[in-house]
Amino acid sequence: MSYTVPEKKNKIKASDMPMILFRVFLVMVFLSAFIAELNPARLSGLINRNVTLFTCATSYSTIGRWFVRSLNQGWIEQPPLTVTYIGALICALAIALVAAAFCLSLGNNKMRRLSITFSWGAAILGAIGTIVLLYAYTLFTDSPSPGRLEPILPMGIWVYLAMFVVLAVYALLLYLKLIKTEAEEQYELEPKYRLFLMILPFLALVLLFAYLPLVGWRYAFFDYTPGIPLAMDDFVGLQWFRFLFNNPAQRAQIVRVMRNTLALSGIGLATSWLPMLFAIFLSELRSVKFKRTVQTLTTIPNYISWVLVYGIAFAIFSTEGFVNWVLLNLGLIERGTNHLMDGSHMWIKMWAWGTWKGLGWGAIIYIASILSIDPQLYEAAMVDGAGRFKRMWHVTIPGLLPTFFVLLLLGISNVLSNGLDQYLVFENHANRTTIEVLDLYIFNLGLASGGSGNIPLSTLIGMLKSVISVTLLFGANRLSKFVRGETII
Amino acid sequence: MTRKTVHKAYFIKRSFGDWVFTLLNGAFFTLFTLLCTFPIYYLFINTISDNRLVQAGLINFFPVGIHFENYISLLGVSELINAAGISVARTVIGTLLMVLASAFVGYLVTQQKMLGRKVIYRFIIITMYFNAGLIPWFLNIMMLGLTNNFLGYIIPAIVAPFNIILVKTYIESLPKELEESAFIDGAGYFTVFRSIILPLCKPILATIAVFGAVGHWNSFVDSIILMGAEPRLYTLQHRLFMYLNMATNLGNLMETTGAIREQDLAAALNGRIISLTVSMVSIVPILMVYPFMQRFFQKGLMLGAVKG
Repeated sequence: MSYTVPEKKNKIKASDMPMILFRVFLVMVFLSAFIAELNPARLSGLINRNVTLFTCATSYSTIGRWFVRSLNQGWIEQPPLTVTYIGALICALAIALVAAAFCLSLGNNKMRRLSITFSWGAAILGAIGTIVLLYAYTLFTDSPSPGRLEPILPMGIWVYLAMFVVLAVYALLLYLKLIKTEAEEQYELEPKYRLFLMILPFLALVLLFAYLPLVGWRYAFFDYTPGIPLAMDDFVGLQWFRFLFNNPAQRAQIVRVMRNTLALSGIGLATSWLPMLFAIFLSELRSVKFKRTVQTLTTIPNYISWVLVYGIAFAIFSTEGFVNWVLLNLGLIERGTNHLMDGSHMWIKMWAWGTWKGLGWGAIIYIASILSIDPQLYEAAMVDGAGRFKRMWHVTIPGLLPTFFVLLLLGISNVLSNGLDQYLVFENHANRTTIEVLDLYIFNLGLASGGSGNIPLSTLIGMLKSVISVTLLFGANRLSKFVRGETII
Repeated sequence: MTRKTVHKAYFIKRSFGDWVFTLLNGAFFTLFTLLCTFPIYYLFINTISDNRLVQAGLINFFPVGIHFENYISLLGVSELINAAGISVARTVIGTLLMVLASAFVGYLVTQQKMLGRKVIYRFIIITMYFNAGLIPWFLNIMMLGLTNNFLGYIIPAIVAPFNIILVKTYIESLPKELEESAFIDGAGYFTVFRSIILPLCKPILATIAVFGAVGHWNSFVDSIILMGAEPRLYTLQHRLFMYLNMATNLGNLMETTGAIREQDLAAALNGRIISLTVSMVSIVPILMVYPFMQRFFQKGLMLGAVKG
């Protein structure tokens, strides 16, 4: 007989409210370091509008990069930049203290007192940092040619100053409210907070690398001048949407790219039963050793990258390669050519490479599923006189269909994502029109042209692609739930 | 009597069909296996044979005039040595951090006491199903100062949701008592993680380590996109990509213009041999860890394949 923990109600007590608000405030201050618009260190129009305080403080070269020309021309000396960097660094340290204060504020009374001490430290440090930045601003305006440096007093400085003042006052109010600690009280943190703090750094990483890019979708609504690295000029609203759908040349491009994308995905989906067949026939092999060898060797291609696949393709299909040697010796051709430069039948060729790479690997999951089919079913079928193919059709395939169905639905939701690697390596000027799938098109449009790519348009296309993909995934999930009563994600 | 004949007839008929089927089946799989392995063998013999024969395209089934000078000469190409160093460094460091993080996060999300455990788990896992797209991803990494920076290979890859699912599922399959008894003995979360969870999770960690290492070793698109201005940070596969492009384009130039300049020809043919040799060098580490993968992958795949 075990005791049961009574269900605890997570009711927020009114007396906790100030502390909770305090935590929220600390988090807001912390996050402000990652908002480019609030960067207090952007003291000159030359510093990019998208640089955050975090970036300014973590690398000195980030600031220096924008002033290379100004330094060369003698418009500015090194000191203002150094002072700016130091100011940013102090502000960032204050932000780090804010983070620490947040963590401590989750603890018991003694920890909260420490948290308040940290908050004061952060407020003082932050005030110093903003004052240093203000001083750096005067250095900018006093420089030999301020006009060229475009000195600005960023809104961020005042926001930061205000935040740190509020922090100090709030911490003081909390301090007055807190109960005095007893001498023997230990620092203590409830397990739920301790575990939360342990996972927090990883959540920060997820936030930084998986959620923060979503903020970049705003580029689809802005205009951007090539030459100035990623400085946004104007909000243009839906201009790029209109361009994408109304501009005839652009529309023709998209239609071509979508044709390639859907054709390649379509061929892939239409042949997605191949790994299942592969597994079924493989399991019919008698010799275990042979089976194992086949399975081992046919999965090798899955593990080599697409560059290496292209290396192999280059070895075999280029002018001096194996295929030409065979064709020459059969007398089918007179002179070797580079088959990789041949732009015909690209869809089938790409499918063939994908199958070469992925068939053995794709079969593994089915092989494992076959092993889990109840042998009694086979015995029963045999007693009923079912031959080999009848057994495959009536026992094995029904056993594999659930797996097949899940993979098919995932394939459908990935219909727009053919991946970039394969098409990037096989692409050349001869086959570009028929190989360019959506992923490659986005890459070529936005990044490949060496900094002069159309960032807004490629962002927009990528955004539409993501939205459609997620919709398809949820649609597939819904369908799966409806048909099989099971979800796939 | 009748029964016996029927059975016999059935047996004979079946064994003949069986024989044909087995033969055809075996032939198909032999062919496909050859199709998967011959190209790699072909690549290999072309890197160790007499270079003149290789350039004429005459090495097809057996190596002739075996030598290893191609490999030795690669050692003199400093950009390749550098690229190999970068590839090894990112593979080792990146895999190590990824595995440790996956193990730790996988362990933490099994702890029922955690504040907002379910929300946190979903917050991590849902990132598998959406992404902002290539351009925002790139701009984000750039904003964080990780372009043209070695850490750009490492940090974004530390948290791998799929691997976290694998570890979590694995830990949940372990007997709970081990952990509980350690807590009763006064161990903290870190101690339990280090001395109980980590040793018990070795099989699954080995699996994700091997897959992570292969992924790091094989990735080249991130090198192309993120490290554009810093050739010292190019990975081996990125270099290989450049060589292959160069070799293809040079060969094509000669074909289309017809006017063959001697240095072009030399460059193209040399490019061919260099590309093949670098390809081989890049494949070898994968073939070396391959036996380990064979041991682990079925288990790892099955665990994850059940759900997304």
